[in-house]
Amino acid sequence: MNAPPFSPQWLWWLAAGFGVWCSALAALYALHGIGCAFAWSAGPLRIGLAALLLAHLTVIGWLWRDLAAANPDPGFGQTGIFLHAVAIWTLMAALATTILTLGPPLLLTICV
Amino acid sequence: MSVSDGLTPQGSAALRLHRQLAAIWATGPGMQRLAAVNHSVVGLRFMATAFVFFGIGGILGMLTRVQLATPDATFMDPETYNQVFTMHGSMMLFLFAIPMVEGMAIYLTPKILGARDLAFPRLSAYGYWCYLFGGTILTAALVAGVAPNSGWFMYTPLSSNVYTPGINADVWLLGVTFVEISALTLAVELVVSILKLRAPGMSLDRMPIFGWYMLVTALMMVVAFPPLILGSILLETERAFGLPFFDPTRGGDPLLWQHLFWLFGHPDVYIIFLPMAGVLSTMIPVFASRPLIGYRAIVVAIIALAFVSFGIWVHHMFTVGIPHLALAFFSAGTAIVAVPTAVQVFAWLATLAHGRPHWDVPMLYVFGFFVIFVIGGLTGVMLSIVPFDWQVHNTYFVVAHFHYVTAGAAAFPLLAALYYWLPLLTGRAAVHRLSVPAFWLVFVGFNLTFFLMHLVGLLGMPRRIYTYQGYEGWTWLNLLSSVGGFIMTIGFGLVVIDLLAQLRFGRRVRRDPWGAATLEWAMPIPPAPYAFASLPQVTTRADRIAPGALAPSLARGDGYLGFARNGWQETLGVHVVSGAPEQLIVLSRATYLPLFTAFATAAAVLAMLFHFYLGALAMTVLTISLFVSAGQRAGLARDYGPMPIGHGVSVPPHTEAADPPPWLALIWTLVADGTLFTSLVFGTFYLWISAPNWPPAMALEPSRPLALVAVAALALAAAAARGSLRALAGGGAVRGWIGLALLALFAAIATTVALIGGVTPHPRAHALGATAAALLFYVALHAGIGLFFLVSNLLRLGAGFVSPQRTTDLRLTRLWLDYTLWTGAVALGLVLALPGLAAMLEARP
Repeated sequence: MNAPPFSPQWLWWLAAGFGVWCSALAALYALHGIGCAFAWSAGPLRIGLAALLLAHLTVIGWLWRDLAAANPDPGFGQTGIFLHAVAIWTLMAALATTILTLGPPLLLTICV
Repeated sequence: MSVSDGLTPQGSAALRLHRQLAAIWATGPGMQRLAAVNHSVVGLRFMATAFVFFGIGGILGMLTRVQLATPDATFMDPETYNQVFTMHGSMMLFLFAIPMVEGMAIYLTPKILGARDLAFPRLSAYGYWCYLFGGTILTAALVAGVAPNSGWFMYTPLSSNVYTPGINADVWLLGVTFVEISALTLAVELVVSILKLRAPGMSLDRMPIFGWYMLVTALMMVVAFPPLILGSILLETERAFGLPFFDPTRGGDPLLWQHLFWLFGHPDVYIIFLPMAGVLSTMIPVFASRPLIGYRAIVVAIIALAFVSFGIWVHHMFTVGIPHLALAFFSAGTAIVAVPTAVQVFAWLATLAHGRPHWDVPMLYVFGFFVIFVIGGLTGVMLSIVPFDWQVHNTYFVVAHFHYVTAGAAAFPLLAALYYWLPLLTGRAAVHRLSVPAFWLVFVGFNLTFFLMHLVGLLGMPRRIYTYQGYEGWTWLNLLSSVGGFIMTIGFGLVVIDLLAQLRFGRRVRRDPWGAATLEWAMPIPPAPYAFASLPQVTTRADRIAPGALAPSLARGDGYLGFARNGWQETLGVHVVSGAPEQLIVLSRATYLPLFTAFATAAAVLAMLFHFYLGALAMTVLTISLFVSAGQRAGLARDYGPMPIGHGVSVPPHTEAADPPPWLALIWTLVADGTLFTSLVFGTFYLWISAPNWPPAMALEPSRPLALVAVAALALAAAAARGSLRALAGGGAVRGWIGLALLALFAAIATTVALIGGVTPHPRAHALGATAAALLFYVALHAGIGLFFLVSNLLRLGAGFVSPQRTTDLRLTRLWLDYTLWTGAVALGLVLALPGLAAMLEARP
């Protein structure tokens, strides 16, 4: 038949990058909402948001580096190569999405 | 049947196999049709019913155009107009677009992926009946003059008791929720089927792109529908019992409804678009005479699209007063979602540019799709820019935009798909004399109707007004728009006539008339109820096969499962990634149970609608009991061990496999359930920081000991479920462990109910009490459903359906009770934390 089966759990890699993007969006939106509701000072709130964004970018970057460093197992054949490539592309796309959607807004006025 | 060449030995073998399989798989005549569970029958029913609702919704749309064609029109009074436009939107979205997509998915997915049916045929049938009954309730309300009248998105407080005291909003909340249950069941069914029920050898990289689109769409449905289901439950609870989740005078917030609605509503656009994009990605290579360009890039694009589409719901709420910084997150996200969409559009264009395209009727609609969807997409990018959105918010510009997007995304590819796949159903293709003018009437009429709405919107015409005075400069645009609407309707009328005429006068075609390269054309025309007489071995990309060459060998039984056995409806379960055959899946036969269960569910909905709450409770229990009853006949009553499936391969039946379809189904059901729970937690926090009139005058004082007892009882139940599995493996007292779990769950329910009884402020007095009660009710409900799992375990143990080799029942119960424990701990912890959170608000400047 095919190459030896590998774990279906590996498929979570396909969702990893954008999963982190979702987490970043939810975390930043929540922190911003809480900060504004409790009238936190603009400076610390902005720094908190930037730190949160940076943490998420680091996670995606780390995932990307980790996966790119690991070549697909030749035993998994074309399926492994395909899934490996798709996972790396989604991580790259997620990194770009995170930077573009969540980075520039942090320069705007904070709670107006 | 195409296997009628029975004079040759090979032909007679095919005919014999066909007769054996047809006897097992066919739906009976007469009343037995009501027991049908076959995916072809259910899929066609979905599509036919969706078309009926499309017709009704279309007529309602035309009524609104008649009303708006001239100023000061008295064709409809305001109340009738409100009901008509609300039902037009609700029907087109909930009763046409989504079910039509589901119907196509049900009908086509097994055929394209090389399976004989979906994983849970009875669930498909139940989903259909729920859809039909839910849609009927909505339509009956329209006839009775009590249809929903608050707009298709039911914004609070307009839809709350104060402003909509009749049953109009209840009809929407209950009827649409009923239909959503149907959608959710089918989503779970599709996810499991695509992951497990493919042709042997069809690894994920060999799966036709249609399979990827359907998989991602079904996963989106699993996550998208629960927030709206929760919102509907909360709003219905507010309307029926006075719990003020959305009432700002009692600590609720109307904007919470908008968040919950659009958490569903925006992804829903892509839930409609992605299957249609799958259709386009399947058809365009056929008409371009070359494989699809960018298969891998498209897979990445649809994964990206699925996620990003969830993260932009707030762009529907740009004017509600959210700070600029937060708006910018969603503005940027909305603009960037165009990128993965564009990747697909460019892949299709590149496929056409590098191929040798030829025209036929389906391609006309593909052309129409490109024009309309690109216009709709571009106006979407315009609307993503916050200042522009503020200018045109709530005007007809938005109406024009979403008609371009939804109609472009749904209607044109859908009609292309109909013309493309109708030869599979009928063996005939369209007669161009009628099809071509029908297309141009639809295309011209559509653009005349909706393009002008951009202009009238820019001139300031608000949505949902039932008339205007005539001095505003909108009159001619509205008149022309209405004329366009009638031209489009005539076009759709011609399409219907054309399709019906095709049944009798269409050009006769042989198998695979378009020269396609996917598996659905490697079967008899029209498809037999068993789809494939034997299952193909896939050795290359499954959208690059030669159906004409493959079909005869499959019909002869040369593939897997090319025989009938024990009167079983058999198909194969494969490894999720590699497609290697793993298990023999024995599917359930035709039964009236889905119909009766849907009747019970409908009775519960109607009892709720008419405030007969005890009746609703009884019918809900009956519905769950019928599900338990359905479970009693599922599976096999003894161990079989590995069984031959052909080609010298033997696999165990699914009842003895490690990850049978029910296991995966429960996992994805819990993902949906977890999304609902997360939405409830989000709602609690949202009210905490955003709602007016917080904190309440009276503090919440939940009993900490009772909460700890409840968590301990849930933990004991989960541990007992593990004990039952160990006892099964070791020959111990399985029933004893199950009994212990039952007692623990009763204790958990009792303590949780006691906690609900002690909630202060009273759940009707303030949203703090209402959210605490909702969280506690969630725990009690799940513990209660756990009781049904355990009772089912006892019954099936007694009937011999559980053995050390067949442990699925007990594993399902363990999974459910684990989930109940973890969500219970979070819910009870949050309830205990609420007093502290409320106190924090007092320190707020």
